[in-house]
Amino acid sequence: MLKCDNLHVQRGGKTILAGINLTLQDGEVLAVLGPNGAGKSTLLAALSGELLPSLGQVLFADKPLAAWLGSERAQRLAVLPQQSSLNFAFVVDEVVGLGRLPHASGRQRDSEIIGLALEAADAAHLRGRNYVELSGGERQRVHLARVLAQLWPGQGGQVLLLDEPTSMLDPLHQLATLKAVRAFAGQGAGVLVILHDLNLAARFADRIALLHQGGLHAIGTPDEVLTEGNLQTVFNLPVIMSRHPELGCPWVIPR
Amino acid sequence: MRRNTLLAMALGLLINPAQAAERLISVGGAVSEWLVALGGEQHLVAVDSTSRHPLSLTALPNVGYQRNLTAEGILALQPDALIGTEEMGPPPVLAQLKGAGVNLYTLSSAPSLPTLEANLAQLGALLGREAEAQAQYQAFQAQLAQLEQQLSQQSSQPGVLLLLSHAGGNPMVAGTDTAGDWLIKLAGGHNLASHEGYKPMTSEALLALAPQVLVVTDRALTGAKARAALLEQQPALAATPAGLAQRLPVIDPTLLVGGVSPRVPKAVAELAQAFYPALQLPSSTLAGSAP
Amino acid sequence: MKPLFSIRLVFIALALGLLLAISLSLSLGPVAMSLDTPWRVLLSRLGLPLLVEPQAQLIIEQIRLPRTLLGLAAGGVLALCGVAMQGLFRNPLADPGLIGVSSGAALGAALMIVLGAGLGGLAPEWSPYLLSASAFAGGLLVTSVVYRLGRKQGRVDVATMLLAGVALAALAGALIGLLQYLADDATLRTLTFWNLGSLNGASYSRLWPLLAIALLVLVSLPRSASALNALLLGESEARHLGVDVERLKRRLILLTALGVGAAVAACGMIGFVGLVVPHLMRLLLGPDHRTLIPASMLAGASLLLLADVLARLLVAPAEMPIGVLTALIGAPFFLYLLVRGRSHA
Repeated sequence: MLKCDNLHVQRGGKTILAGINLTLQDGEVLAVLGPNGAGKSTLLAALSGELLPSLGQVLFADKPLAAWLGSERAQRLAVLPQQSSLNFAFVVDEVVGLGRLPHASGRQRDSEIIGLALEAADAAHLRGRNYVELSGGERQRVHLARVLAQLWPGQGGQVLLLDEPTSMLDPLHQLATLKAVRAFAGQGAGVLVILHDLNLAARFADRIALLHQGGLHAIGTPDEVLTEGNLQTVFNLPVIMSRHPELGCPWVIPR
Repeated sequence: MRRNTLLAMALGLLINPAQAAERLISVGGAVSEWLVALGGEQHLVAVDSTSRHPLSLTALPNVGYQRNLTAEGILALQPDALIGTEEMGPPPVLAQLKGAGVNLYTLSSAPSLPTLEANLAQLGALLGREAEAQAQYQAFQAQLAQLEQQLSQQSSQPGVLLLLSHAGGNPMVAGTDTAGDWLIKLAGGHNLASHEGYKPMTSEALLALAPQVLVVTDRALTGAKARAALLEQQPALAATPAGLAQRLPVIDPTLLVGGVSPRVPKAVAELAQAFYPALQLPSSTLAGSAP
Repeated sequence: MKPLFSIRLVFIALALGLLLAISLSLSLGPVAMSLDTPWRVLLSRLGLPLLVEPQAQLIIEQIRLPRTLLGLAAGGVLALCGVAMQGLFRNPLADPGLIGVSSGAALGAALMIVLGAGLGGLAPEWSPYLLSASAFAGGLLVTSVVYRLGRKQGRVDVATMLLAGVALAALAGALIGLLQYLADDATLRTLTFWNLGSLNGASYSRLWPLLAIALLVLVSLPRSASALNALLLGESEARHLGVDVERLKRRLILLTALGVGAAVAACGMIGFVGLVVPHLMRLLLGPDHRTLIPASMLAGASLLLLADVLARLLVAPAEMPIGVLTALIGAPFFLYLLVRGRSHA
């Protein structure tokens, strides 16, 4: 669905990403892992068209990203940045409603979707609240609801790019958010999500891409990618690999 | 005889109130002064903010600064005519006033005798007092001529600077093409400043010019206070020849803007006395003809 | 934030306020007349056989009506441009001056006033037009320089533009200072009055350019309302929502340069309206541009008209500079809302 071939990205004359080949399939959750400075956010920026590749290209539905008309692309590709700089006193509903901008679905349908998206992001209780009075974690969930509303209800051919959607959340809401993302992918959309928590990635991702020094070190199922060797090389972190006692997915225990 | 004339005039006004222009607004200090000097004060219904002489004018409604007049404010006073100088404005308001049937008389504010003569002739005609205007001009001119004649016998013309000061700022020095320059020349002085218009000058530059007389004017203060304030702000001035000799005459700043005032002969005589202490001026000259 | 009052109520109040401001502006002035006179003049113009005093008719048609139209257009357009700039810079305290249009217009006007006086005075029948044209051109010129400086690789970098605007404003200020140094006393006073703004001397012939531009801004800006909302999220977020951000920015800058340039050219520098009216409306209605834009237009026009009524009445037959009054009326109200907003938060 979203595909990059031999992607190179430079910033200020320095090569940040080199030779990345990646395909995001419909309905899958692809987690991107890597240490600070590995190029995760740059990859997301390149995949969303914010940064232009110095070499290679990004294809969305077999069409170069730049060839898409802004509003048509926005109906099928949504991006959640790591942090929002929004500092205006919108009501929460209005913030989520901004996600409906690319669609002309009418006030009533929009209002329904706003409610459903907020519910999906476990933020339904924030309806009617002043955005600037929310905590960091609450704001993060509101923005998740916004990008969900942008693609609602989610279908094949759509792509959702999330940059650390759990960075400001407590453990309970980290789980809730990733469950919501998982469920959304279940509707058919492809989701690429940057994560820092290896175990959350192991639990919720179909595949994991491991970035190391601007290159793709490994990509595959959690079982294939989360190995003691890979994690030692990429994170310089000695770990013991185990399994989740109930779910059976890989479980990373730092030594 | 004179009393009879006045009586006749008063009767004339009562009997035929619509003879000359009835309700006048005067804009510009000198214009207002001359209107009063020519006996037109009872026709004035308002003046502008620069009309401060004689003091009785300040009791009249004030139409604001002469360059910032307003059409409706003036129309509300129902004037027959508006008299001012070319400094009146803004032009769109003057156009509106003209459109509303107000007669506009625009005099020149240039500091020169021919201008004054023409202005007085026009004011005289407006008030129906041509002879009076003519007489006033001749008296004015005669005083200056007499002074000029006396000055021609004086030698060693003093070097003069005229400082326009106001609280807190560097004093502005009157250069060429200013009313200040004209006054200095009439009083027999030599203006040391060669720039055009009013410009600030540093104390050092003032010292270098070594003025023998410093003419002091202050926007807010008068007399000895103006002098003291200037020396306090510019202590270096005390070291000029003028400062050392205490030759610091003070003149009224309203003489410097808005045209030639009837008070000019008296002010010039006072300046001349300061420039040439040996000068023997008749007391009538110093008393002047100012109303 | 939940609006303090219902949106409908605020709009009804704003519309009534504007109607009141218009009728006060037509019926109050140094020339006393009854409150219904303007309406009698209007009806008699429409053909009703009403008796209207010719002087009242002249004052209303030739003095107060153009003045009212000027106030409506200038107040509305200044507030609208304030909304556009606060949206562009994503900052509720942004002001149209940030992109250099006001400083450029001030420089244009100062050039014309001082050099005009230096050349022995302009022909009085042409000077108002030349002054307006020069101010308008100065505003457009400086803004286009700021815009060019802010362009990097085909994108307008708002932060660079902001800094370029500050630098060019300083440069314009220096040039104005130089002109002031060259100017004589009387010219200085003309400059001072111009800098304080005034609706005095409004005439139909000088009104049309501003009316046309005000109409353009009024029609164009609401079409960008939703895009402006998205822009508040950030430029890349707005792009992800399908907004052509570069086009939006160009549009906002162009509309502001035209709008503020024309307003300043027609009535001098009137500060405060563009900064505070949108801010006030945001406090009342929230930041949604779909309501903010029309509300700011109504409030800006009302504020300027009311300030002008006071300007002509307070020291009649003279007149106060309107810039002084917009600030005198607006600032305390603004402070009140700030303090009140803080105690709510």
